[in-house]
Amino acid sequence: MPATQEISELLIRSNIARAVGDVFKTMLSRDAEPGITVGDGVNSSWPPIPVDGDAIPQVVGTVGFIGDVNGLIYLYLPLPFAIAATSHLLGMTPAELEEAGDEVVNDAIGEITNMTVGSFKNGLCDAGYPCKLTIPSILRGSNFSIEPISSVNRFIYSFETSGHKIVADILLKSGE
Amino acid sequence: MRNKILTVDDSKTVRIIVRKAFKSYDCEILEASNGVEGLAVAAKEMPDLILLDITMPVMDGVEMLTRLKADPQLKGIPVMMLTAEGGKDNVLKIAKIGIRDYIVKPFKEELLLEKAGRIIELKPLSDAPSKVRSIFDAANILVVEDKPAIVQQIQAGLKHTPWAVHGVSTQGEAMDSWTKTPPDLIMISLSLPEDAAFTLFRLIRSNVKTKYTPVFGLVVKTEAGPLQQAQTVGFTTVITKPIDMGELESKIAKAMNLDTSLRYFKLESDILVMRLPENCTPPVLAEISNYLKPKLAEAVDAGNNKAVIDVHPLKSVHMGVIKILMQAMVTCRELGVQFALVGNTQLIAECKGFEDTRNWVFHDTLENAKASLGAAKPAEAAPALASA
Repeated sequence: MPATQEISELLIRSNIARAVGDVFKTMLSRDAEPGITVGDGVNSSWPPIPVDGDAIPQVVGTVGFIGDVNGLIYLYLPLPFAIAATSHLLGMTPAELEEAGDEVVNDAIGEITNMTVGSFKNGLCDAGYPCKLTIPSILRGSNFSIEPISSVNRFIYSFETSGHKIVADILLKSGE
Repeated sequence: MRNKILTVDDSKTVRIIVRKAFKSYDCEILEASNGVEGLAVAAKEMPDLILLDITMPVMDGVEMLTRLKADPQLKGIPVMMLTAEGGKDNVLKIAKIGIRDYIVKPFKEELLLEKAGRIIELKPLSDAPSKVRSIFDAANILVVEDKPAIVQQIQAGLKHTPWAVHGVSTQGEAMDSWTKTPPDLIMISLSLPEDAAFTLFRLIRSNVKTKYTPVFGLVVKTEAGPLQQAQTVGFTTVITKPIDMGELESKIAKAMNLDTSLRYFKLESDILVMRLPENCTPPVLAEISNYLKPKLAEAVDAGNNKAVIDVHPLKSVHMGVIKILMQAMVTCRELGVQFALVGNTQLIAECKGFEDTRNWVFHDTLENAKASLGAAKPAEAAPALASA
């Protein structure tokens, strides 16, 4: 099994930028422009601690990958964007979505995350790191932070789309 | 028979997208959220195509595919993978088990339709089965012709119709155009370089969105080779240059299956008005003849048993016109419809010259004809009023 350290930051950055760009363009008809790298160290955290509860509620999709390289990706979407994306994807009006409930938005964002992580990890597979996807899960909230354990390498990238900031938080387990 | 498509995916979102993609086609969408459910539905319904995800709880797609291919009853069902798992090694491994195609998510609905259309027959549902499209409805016509003068002639010749004629000069532009807006009819010059017309025709027929779109060839009459080839490969029809615009319009209406009766029949204040156009060519007369009885019967069925036969736009009478008028009068009598004729001085004079028509009685205006019907007795001979 190759050591995860062998995977360069450039490979990770280019893969996630391509994956987010492809999925957003193909499924949501939106461009996603890479923004700043929020952090790439073990001690980075996202989202930043909210001030006076004014943080925008987030819908966070998570999908892992296991194999020669192990890790998971959190895809943070602001709630208003998650609703707009679901509406576009399913051809439903905001009123219909409201009636259908959170479950529909969760499932749609789960699938968007699945496609994004799938596209990312397919790039790793083709670069010589075969791995498989896990089943998506969803996290919702406006006041939380994710703190990885010390044996994990973390890479955080932000993207701008339709006036919203979305974030891909990539955690890779260090190779043995 | 209606095709059945089974989508096996744990994501309800993907199942909705699949349902949405096929909604304009005559097929039934079946759903399952994992491999176990997928096998059960496949055994019960025997679908014509299975769209299969890989990463699913309970039983994943690879295991379902392996079991499906091991089952003598089910192994013949074509399977297309629709999954985010797309590494080359994964794809090769799954391809060996036996699949017809592989789509890696994210995917466009168009790609799904195109690939599914290569495996099963996808027949578009008619937009509105109860409403037949009429000659007055908008339509998009794509003309693939490298000679701008011909495109301009067609645009000018069809200017009076509600049809939008869009001209392109190359194969690439044509494909871009029909991807953006699927046309209702396509005309292709058979003299495009490098047999491009026939390449395009094959592409049109292999694309699920244009599979049933009427395709006309445009060619000079003397070019017998391409003309014959177009007829052999299945062009809807071939239009020869110089283009007869009347003939072209009539063929377009026929190819698009448009209801042209409104050109000749109109209900005005409870009276059915049948109006012959100025240029009563044999195709026009044939069209009127086909509509005559159904339109009169429809009017009677709706409680309107009065008709005006208006021939005043005609400049002269010929045998075809006389025949259609006689057919109209006989049909009116059969159905118990009161009728009156409207003509112009020239026509009335000409009718005096024929044995069969010399006793016909015409009104000089539509209003007079309509007014006369109020006093006339049903199903009698034409009401007496103006005669030349």
